[in-house]
Amino acid sequence: MIIDVHSHPIFYKAISNDADALKFRKEQFAVFKQSPYPIETAIYEMDYMNIDKTVLLPLDITTRHKGHIVSNEEVRQIVDLAPDRFIGFASVDPHRPDGVEVLDYAFKELGLSGLKLHPSKQHFYPQDDMLSPIYEKCIEYNKPIMFHAGMTWEPDAPAKYSQPVHFEEVAIAYPQLRMCLAHFGWPWMHETIMLLLKYPNVYTDTSLLHMDNAKDFYEQIFTKNMGPLWIERNLNKKVMFGTNAPRFRAKRLLPALRELPFRPSTLNNIFAGNAMRFIGLEEQEGR
Amino acid sequence: MIKLKTLTISTKAEVEMIKITEEVRTFIEESGVKEGLAAVISAHTTTGIMVNEGLECVETDIMETLDRLAPKELPYAHARFLPSYGATGSNSTSHLKSMLSGNSCLFVVQNGKMVSGEAQDIYLSEFDGPKTRKIYIQIIGE
Repeated sequence: MIIDVHSHPIFYKAISNDADALKFRKEQFAVFKQSPYPIETAIYEMDYMNIDKTVLLPLDITTRHKGHIVSNEEVRQIVDLAPDRFIGFASVDPHRPDGVEVLDYAFKELGLSGLKLHPSKQHFYPQDDMLSPIYEKCIEYNKPIMFHAGMTWEPDAPAKYSQPVHFEEVAIAYPQLRMCLAHFGWPWMHETIMLLLKYPNVYTDTSLLHMDNAKDFYEQIFTKNMGPLWIERNLNKKVMFGTNAPRFRAKRLLPALRELPFRPSTLNNIFAGNAMRFIGLEEQEGR
Repeated sequence: MIKLKTLTISTKAEVEMIKITEEVRTFIEESGVKEGLAAVISAHTTTGIMVNEGLECVETDIMETLDRLAPKELPYAHARFLPSYGATGSNSTSHLKSMLSGNSCLFVVQNGKMVSGEAQDIYLSEFDGPKTRKIYIQIIGE
């Protein structure tokens, strides 16, 4: 089984009918030269790569940019088109006065499975007290948080807010809160590794490809910048497969992952086992 | 007279050859153009429009030859993040196969029909799928 925990439905045709909204989405996410495609195309690519499920991430940037890159309702709309293939997360702008109500609605009424937060794009530090009610709402509903961490290509999104070390106080204050520091927190991957090692509910994902091709970049990151056995020995329950589509594509990342010197059991954890635990699918399946 | 049709095709694999001969032939016959030229043009840089014999063995040899000429893994320059795209480009093999294939073909229209050799088929060749692809068929004549 393979789960992609990190995908943005920027170009899904079902939610791309408004030209102005699509232009806003492309500019704010900083992705260009692509056009809307039917949901079937996304599923063809999943089938081709044997990906069973994909987590779809919205982003609420209403206070700073007066809109959503993708809204919670749009994620729900897509999940309803293929509920066996997609897992929808929610997003909320923490600066919104009604943020907790928006999140409660997303979990309770829209039935979304987790929360996406982007400290850089949404301009907040993770340990800010403003976030406490949001973290408590996630714990109340037993939902994980997918945090953007490290560098982002999006405009108006300073990396300082997403430096991994800023997440440590959240992990200390809310040890039961499952959180993913996405993209390995690149370029601060060693800070991410420190948090993965120390805090049981901190995860990361493989959605990074900032230079080279996937094979060369993964080899550099996972066997040279890191000790070649660090994931195998220490982090095999902490790393999840994620693409960051449409920026990076599964058909490039998956073969590159398979070429790394991992045991089959470690690859299985990366491909699905860790995501099952992070999202809470194990509990849903009664395991 | 100028007539234009856009074919939208969802490819289902990274590399495949899809025959579009009948789509082109049908559009020519429905266009009302009796004498002229039909152009088939891809809107993409990682696909090809090819004319060749519609046999599985020929398709295999074409694809294997393209693999030899433009292997997947070489130290290509086009393996980096592209700010103008917002994505990492690392598909030089696809671009090079597209270059070798060409992205268009032409057929004569005579008496309202496509003129072609008996062995000729028109292919959309996918080199970076699965994706949704657009192919333009334009007929110019009278």
